[in-house]
Amino acid sequence: MRTDRKNTFLQSFLSSKDQLWTVIWIITIAIVGIWDLLFLNRPALEKVITGFINTFSISLLVVCFTLVLSWLITLGFHFFEQKHNHAGYVALTFFLNLLRSIPQIVGILFGYVGIAALVDKGILTGNLAVFPCLAFCMSLFIIAEVVDLMRERIEHFKKLDFYSAMRVCGISESRIVNFDILWKNSRLHIFNKLIAVFGSAVFLQCSVDFIISVGLSTDINPVSLPVTLGSLLAKIDSKQDILAIGNTLFNPSYLPNLLFQHLQGITVAFLIVFSLFCINNISNGYAERHRL
Amino acid sequence: MNTRQFSIRVQSGNRCLVNAENFPVYQNEITFLFGESGIGKSIITKGLYGLLDPEDLTVTINNKPYGYHLNDNWTKQIRRNGFFVFQEPSSHLNPLLTIREQLNEGSLCDHEDKEILRYLWQTNDDPSIRKIIDIFPKPYRPSGGEKQRILLAMAFKRINAFIENPSDEQTAFVFDEPTGSLDNNYRNRFLELLFAKYSAHPFTAIIITHDYSIISEIYNRHRHLVKNIHFKELSRTTEPDVDVQDFSPQQYLSWLQTGHSQYKENFAKETTLEFSSRFSIFNRNLCIYKDELRQHPSSLVINKGDMVYLKAPSGVGKTTLAKIVMGLYHADSFKMRLAGVTANEKSPETLWQKKIWGKKAGMVFQHADESLNMQATVLETFKGLPLKSKLNTEKLKKYLQDLFDPSTLTDQFLHKKVAFLSGGQKQRLNLLRTLIQAPNLIVLDEPLNGLDFNSVKRVLELLNQKRSQGTSMLMISHNEEIFEHFVAKENIYYLSEI
Repeated sequence: MRTDRKNTFLQSFLSSKDQLWTVIWIITIAIVGIWDLLFLNRPALEKVITGFINTFSISLLVVCFTLVLSWLITLGFHFFEQKHNHAGYVALTFFLNLLRSIPQIVGILFGYVGIAALVDKGILTGNLAVFPCLAFCMSLFIIAEVVDLMRERIEHFKKLDFYSAMRVCGISESRIVNFDILWKNSRLHIFNKLIAVFGSAVFLQCSVDFIISVGLSTDINPVSLPVTLGSLLAKIDSKQDILAIGNTLFNPSYLPNLLFQHLQGITVAFLIVFSLFCINNISNGYAERHRL
Repeated sequence: MNTRQFSIRVQSGNRCLVNAENFPVYQNEITFLFGESGIGKSIITKGLYGLLDPEDLTVTINNKPYGYHLNDNWTKQIRRNGFFVFQEPSSHLNPLLTIREQLNEGSLCDHEDKEILRYLWQTNDDPSIRKIIDIFPKPYRPSGGEKQRILLAMAFKRINAFIENPSDEQTAFVFDEPTGSLDNNYRNRFLELLFAKYSAHPFTAIIITHDYSIISEIYNRHRHLVKNIHFKELSRTTEPDVDVQDFSPQQYLSWLQTGHSQYKENFAKETTLEFSSRFSIFNRNLCIYKDELRQHPSSLVINKGDMVYLKAPSGVGKTTLAKIVMGLYHADSFKMRLAGVTANEKSPETLWQKKIWGKKAGMVFQHADESLNMQATVLETFKGLPLKSKLNTEKLKKYLQDLFDPSTLTDQFLHKKVAFLSGGQKQRLNLLRTLIQAPNLIVLDEPLNGLDFNSVKRVLELLNQKRSQGTSMLMISHNEEIFEHFVAKENIYYLSEI
């Protein structure tokens, strides 16, 4: 009986790809961490740990800001439409389309320029102030797709008797939209989208940090933006580590050196690529499990 | 009489969907199977017919894995010789083949269908039938009723084949809600054809239905066949177990006779709703009449405590009228006065929002599956309603007793997701959500959908109780027989397009 229960649990766990990939991700990162702890020099290890924590903390903040902002914008659209407030509706549409029209990387780069200026002038100091600003800036260019999803969900339910049946019962519009549609009937869809937002945030952050850090030496750093995986990847020693992979392709005997002498760059590159790969699989697995 | 008994258990993962002991299949006789929707009528018959997917579901028949049943000679023969008419005609038809091609697909091609089509369409005009069968089926074309008749025509072709080439092999024809989209006239033609074929050569037929008025039709026009007909009802014992019991047609027929004499009006003539006799919407002009011949237009007047029954063929606009009254559709022209509130085509939606919804009027929608929040719990379904006093768990349990057995009203039930309730339970919940508010007018759109006989009786008793408290009702239902008996003749109105 006990074995049966264990087998059922294992079967359901293995068939839930999202749970499986979450565990694979965590275990692999833990193994990489232990390896680095054993073989990576202390200053480089500290940088990698800081970069990893900063990158994922900012990405988590991006998810929070995206959720709150897109929920508010969706409600704005709904109530402007409901109250026949055309000016408000048009203004919100214009704002969202403006954000949509700017390529994400370009928009975030400009945002970073502004934040860098504020840091430079000493207006923003410390991670507690800088992280939310970076996250907010990034979330602005990601919210459009979450708003689209939420609005689609509301539109879908408005077409069904569900929405009318609740309204004629005298249930408030706010409860129908927030509780019955978005929370009760769309939270799985929204959560799945937020997993994708998390992946996008990691990717965009690494790309933008890499772009702005290219060319800066390890000593000259005009702006003290937080260390992230992207900025670490742009450092000259990481680049050399990455180039070593190319060298290994033609000199396979060099492979063991990668795991001991080029650990910083290899670790950073691996963390970025493997994390994005896992997040993608988690998102797909979650959608599959919940039949979204 | 040769009867095969089956025990059937169907599981999806760890969840048992249905478990029935001693389900009878009466060989060469006709069985009408009643029961509230979602109780497992379709899944049991599909299981017996070998139509369930063994990859998705774990099916055990007569305590043996499904494979044994699928390889049994009985199953193979009934599948070879019989036909299964599915409940939802739209999903039965292949959108990539014309209807004519589908009517002549596989073993159906050997038999003529002209006479069957003419009979089911009640016409000798072949070109008009050709217009329907020479097209590819699309969601709204042909209509639901036409699609249903096409499926019935396929089944009758197989029945003809069986009659023309009788053999010792078994056969069974299953009709899952075959008259759900048909009006009474076409329903009666289907029954007449079925019984005519049966009289020519008996065969096994199982007809799943919620339409209890079929009983009256059989007793009025096909009484000679009653000895070959079984009326059975599926009822829930303890979830997921269901019991197959005999349904007494006399019980239904005598209940009908009690009619509206059960209810006595106590109110002075105080008008709750007055709706203009003519109105237009979606470029259609509609008119309300009080006489069946539709000669004298009349405003729709519902007095306090009255139930008005609105009759019209499918698709004319009964639900549309209900939605205009409730401010959900914006009509091009109309006038109404509802419990002191006057509205017309120029009235803004906020009028209904502020003065009518949840206060003066409420509406029970046709499909409980669509109008309830499937992801909410039973308890949450009643949260957010603008009630005069706060509703706690105990009060709610007491209130639900109007339509639910007290033994089922546990805390676990209150915290159960609506999605996991049976169709009949959803429908009762759908009704109670509106009735709890006791507005001046309640619009009921097909409130008896998916209910078993006991629930139908309880719902009508509850409606009478609400009427005695002064609630007026506008009733829209295809259960003409029931409401013609339960609504006073002067409260029956007719709707027509001009």
